[in-house]
Amino acid sequence: MKTFIGWAYLAALFAFIFAPIAASVVFSFNSDRFPTLPLGHFTTDWYARAFSRPEVWQAIGNSLIVAAATSAIASFIGFATAYTDFRYGFRFKPAYLALALLPPTLPLVILGLAMLAWLSQVGLSGTLTGIIIAHVVLATPFAMAICRLRLSQMDPSLESAAWNLGAGPWTAMRHVILPFCAPAIVSALCLTAAVSFDEFIVAWFVSGLNRTVPVLILEILQGNVDPQINAIGTVVFLTSMSLVIAAQFLIFRKRRHE
Amino acid sequence: MNASRKFDPYAYVWRLPLLLWQGAFFVIPLIFMAAMSFWLVKNYRMEPTFVFDNWERMLGRGAFWDAYWITLWRAVLAGVIASAIAFPASLFLAFRLTNSGRRFALLCLIVPFFTSFLVRAYAWQVILAESGPVNAALGGLGLGPFTMLNSGFGAMVGYLTLVLPLVVIFQTWSLAAIDKSLIEAAGNLGASAWATLVRVIIPAAKTGLVLGALFAFIMTFGDFVSPFYLGGSKPPTLTILIIDTTKSGQQWPRAAVVAIVMILTLFAVATAAVKAAYRGRG
Amino acid sequence: MNEPLVQFRAVHKRFGTYVAVKSLDLDIQRGEFLALMGPSGCGKTTTLRMLAGLEAPTSGSITIGGKVMNEVPPHRRDTPLVWQSLALFPFLSVVENVEFGLRMRGVDARERRERAMMWLGRMDLKGFESRRIDQLSGGQRQRVALARSLVTEPEMLLLDEPLSALDAHLVIRMQGVLTRLQKELGITFVYVTHSQSEAFAMADRVVIMGHGAIEQIGRPREIFRGPKTRFVAEFVGRNNILGGTVKAGLMDSAQGPVSVPAPDGPAEIVVAADRVTVSRNRPAGTAIQASFLSEEFAGTGIICYFETAEGAEWKAQVSESQLAELQPESGQSFWLSWDPARAHVMTG
Repeated sequence: MKTFIGWAYLAALFAFIFAPIAASVVFSFNSDRFPTLPLGHFTTDWYARAFSRPEVWQAIGNSLIVAAATSAIASFIGFATAYTDFRYGFRFKPAYLALALLPPTLPLVILGLAMLAWLSQVGLSGTLTGIIIAHVVLATPFAMAICRLRLSQMDPSLESAAWNLGAGPWTAMRHVILPFCAPAIVSALCLTAAVSFDEFIVAWFVSGLNRTVPVLILEILQGNVDPQINAIGTVVFLTSMSLVIAAQFLIFRKRRHE
Repeated sequence: MNASRKFDPYAYVWRLPLLLWQGAFFVIPLIFMAAMSFWLVKNYRMEPTFVFDNWERMLGRGAFWDAYWITLWRAVLAGVIASAIAFPASLFLAFRLTNSGRRFALLCLIVPFFTSFLVRAYAWQVILAESGPVNAALGGLGLGPFTMLNSGFGAMVGYLTLVLPLVVIFQTWSLAAIDKSLIEAAGNLGASAWATLVRVIIPAAKTGLVLGALFAFIMTFGDFVSPFYLGGSKPPTLTILIIDTTKSGQQWPRAAVVAIVMILTLFAVATAAVKAAYRGRG
Repeated sequence: MNEPLVQFRAVHKRFGTYVAVKSLDLDIQRGEFLALMGPSGCGKTTTLRMLAGLEAPTSGSITIGGKVMNEVPPHRRDTPLVWQSLALFPFLSVVENVEFGLRMRGVDARERRERAMMWLGRMDLKGFESRRIDQLSGGQRQRVALARSLVTEPEMLLLDEPLSALDAHLVIRMQGVLTRLQKELGITFVYVTHSQSEAFAMADRVVIMGHGAIEQIGRPREIFRGPKTRFVAEFVGRNNILGGTVKAGLMDSAQGPVSVPAPDGPAEIVVAADRVTVSRNRPAGTAIQASFLSEEFAGTGIICYFETAEGAEWKAQVSESQLAELQPESGQSFWLSWDPARAHVMTG
């Protein structure tokens, strides 16, 4: 009986957390503009309408460019930082690590404002470059955490062993550290792309006319209620989820082998 | 001479990217924002100067303090409510599930972080609408209709959607890490289930419980989607104030004042919470 | 002519304020099997790492083959190391691991595969070349690590406690493999260990280190029977140590006067446990009295532990039949005696 109440409570909590996600998928295939119970009939009309709008495709293009550039740069910086933490001790290292991990704790609205103000000063506001810059700031800590986790599973003498067998520092990096971290790096690429693909507040502040998909959703939302949002949202959700699942899969598959 | 003292370009290739990027695009923008709060806007352009006009104007306004207290109050409330709702579920996850079951549940709880919160808020808008599915179901029982949107309740639904997964993850981690023999020992010494919970389990998991509540506070404090789309933006929160001031008024320096007050508040709360979380620990 | 392969001259190594190695002078000959032995923190591993170039000496010089190597980075040396953790690359197959050193030296693919396969054959690993490292047993991994280090045919092989992770029966087998290999190849082995059985079983010469300095260098038997310092006597073997001032062949030790063949003045003697005779009644000659504590079965006999009235611990090795005859019980008093001529007088 006690266990049953436990399961019921857990199920209710999960239902609350996942209700909006599930509802948005269901509504995206539902014919009513204002869905209620009972549901209307099945339709793909909202998808057809949403994806016949040129600005949606424009936004998808922008989002893909931003996500790809963000994930490449953030994964590189994240890996470099994780390797530095793994390999070197130096003065001010706590401050260095704080710089590496703090950005996600700052409210996005504040980061958006600071970015907007600063990027306007340097003439990058309203450009995709501006969004990429801001997203790298946000996504780097995730990449760093993933790579650091992987490095902590590595025998520290592996790198020295490579030097000992005739590999210089760069060669050891290429032949030992990078192959060892490969799954973590791919996983960081996926996760940082997902972070960028979903972020809309900072992007909204700095994007100007170059809207990404979530910014477009935000702007549609400010107008009329429109189930096209559910259609676009479902596609965004599926994209992010495939990236996250790919990332998880890579981390876990590797772990089982060790 | 010691070889390790020499300048090593290899080391700096890995060390510098973070310093350069987060320095140029995180630290400097924040410093610039602080400096900007002392600038003035004339003819829709910012002019560098050093005056306290923006500070006096914002902090001297009753509307600002109304927004401040409502934001702080909601963040505290969300922290407490989310912790209370999450705790029984976390207990169950930590003590009644197998390791792999628990890992799967926590993995599921990470999923929401990678879905657009905006789309989720929109879904709540539809679900909680006056003619939406919830009211339709309640109507079938002869209740309602209730107005749930554009109210503190609506905003709280949004906040909880945002923070509950993280709070459950934090609580479950710290509860699952408790040495099980501690609990058995308490039972062995004749402690009731309730006494074991209050005297043994909660103190042992304190760090995770406090950190969970802290993160709920931080996320609620900085959220603008819930109060805007589900809370009806009246009364406005600090985040709505920042966006309104930035987007419509072009008054970036005044928005910066709000942002700095928010950062200081977050810093104070986080410091106090972390101190509380680790008090009495090695 | 017979110039040593390696020379350490006044080598110091500091980590911050911690002195790991101090004023180290050591010659390593071509083709010898040298063991560096001592308790943990004695500086033996640091010495080995300096030889491989993984640490640079704070002062002093290290020459290999007549060339000063202080500032030469590890990858420009040919000093392969067999690591305590083995440090095999988990993302490479067995044969790719063995090839690694040749690949780094730019040896072409076909030749390096041939040479790697030759070494795998030599290490009884034929048929395992495409396995992953985690599919091998501990002993097999050990041999892969050896093959990987030897494939470049170096003049010297460094080994850092390579057997410490193996089961006892495998340790003995690997000791055989290592000594045979060293004799066949005729190259220098520098072997770091804290285990005296490993060092004494394999090495031509043993270096005992303590607190960052060399305590004694010598052949295993010399060190075993003739420890120079109290540190060595305590670290090596089962020894009893007795100190005092000698006058006319008699030392006024804490356990009473004992006969010592040494010149007048302060002295310390070492009596090995296997040279102590245990008896219930006072024998003629040099003997001290002590009460029985406990016994312990060792490979070569039984070690009995005693305590003197002054609180010093004494060890004596007896055979099983002697033990049966003595039937010691805890707290009973016995006499421990030895032939003064076979006690070792320390000079360090």
